[in-house]
Amino acid sequence: MSERDFLAAVKNNQGIIYKLVGLYAADTEEKKDLYQEVLLQAWKSWPSFRGDAKFSTWLYRICLNTILTQQRKQKKINYQERLDDISPTIESTAILKEDSLRLQQAIRRLAETDRAIISSHLDGYNNGEIAEMMGIGLNHVAVKLHRIKQQITTILK
Amino acid sequence: MSLEKQWQHINEQEDEDLSALMNNPQLKKLTSHQPLQKIKNNLLINMAWGIGIAVCYVLILFFFPYWQVRLCIGIVLLFTLWAISTAYTQYKSIQPTVSSQNSLLAEMKRHHASMIIWMKTQERVALFIYPFSTAGGFMLGGAIGSGRSVDYFMSKPVVQIALVISIAILVPLAYWFAKWLFNKSFGKHLKTLGENIQELSSDEV
Repeated sequence: MSERDFLAAVKNNQGIIYKLVGLYAADTEEKKDLYQEVLLQAWKSWPSFRGDAKFSTWLYRICLNTILTQQRKQKKINYQERLDDISPTIESTAILKEDSLRLQQAIRRLAETDRAIISSHLDGYNNGEIAEMMGIGLNHVAVKLHRIKQQITTILK
Repeated sequence: MSLEKQWQHINEQEDEDLSALMNNPQLKKLTSHQPLQKIKNNLLINMAWGIGIAVCYVLILFFFPYWQVRLCIGIVLLFTLWAISTAYTQYKSIQPTVSSQNSLLAEMKRHHASMIIWMKTQERVALFIYPFSTAGGFMLGGAIGSGRSVDYFMSKPVVQIALVISIAILVPLAYWFAKWLFNKSFGKHLKTLGENIQELSSDEV
């Protein structure tokens, strides 16, 4: 597959990168750096993509493995201003957007590895797939997911 | 509204900061900032310096006919060659590209282990090379500065004590400097990696 095909495939799945990068980047600058690193790592690993998994799953793994092994800023994420940006022009859309942002912010307050587990769960991966992605046992995933959901509920209250 | 639905909604949103990058990606111009890539670049620089320094040592061995200096420089040369070969082995073994085959835990452990190995090597180099290079440099500098032979220069007890003090001060200093430099560059990252590994590995049921 050529560079153009690769970029087209990434573009079709760019939401994965946006979301995961958004969960870990401390600011816009770091978001761009992480995004470019993910893109580069995906491009370098591209020859190893055998097609026996979905491209989106492959990209998801590259994304998580890249972000969590990358040297990131240690400062706390400041996300409050983003909530204020929401325009209440169309109320229902605004509410949905606000809820989504609140969820994203709640997830950002979790431990780094917990963010990876809950995001893959919310993206529809089953416990077996998450266990394989993370490299931990199936029961461990279930226990962790239970705890993480409790934490999110508490944060969102 | 379910968490899943809220999460899916993020998928549908455009990220203004990143969209601009996606519309004009230039893969060939991108450079990796992965810590392992940085270490690999560092190893390459270390090897280049090591070779340059080894050549200087060989020149000193040829042009300075003091057996004490030759002995120290000879030992330092051997350690330098060892350091170059270790750096080369590490350079070859470090795989900076993130693997899609490994799990997150395995990948974090791989990065963590590679960084620790590199750190230990730097510390070992500081411990093994600096005592001899300090002694060699001290004797060579003293002999040239005083215009006498090393035997004569080193025959004074005060000079012998000064040599011991120099080694006693410089070697731990170099060791701690190597440690400090590593911590400054990668300390926080290594700590975060360690915590994340611990976080995923802990509470296994």
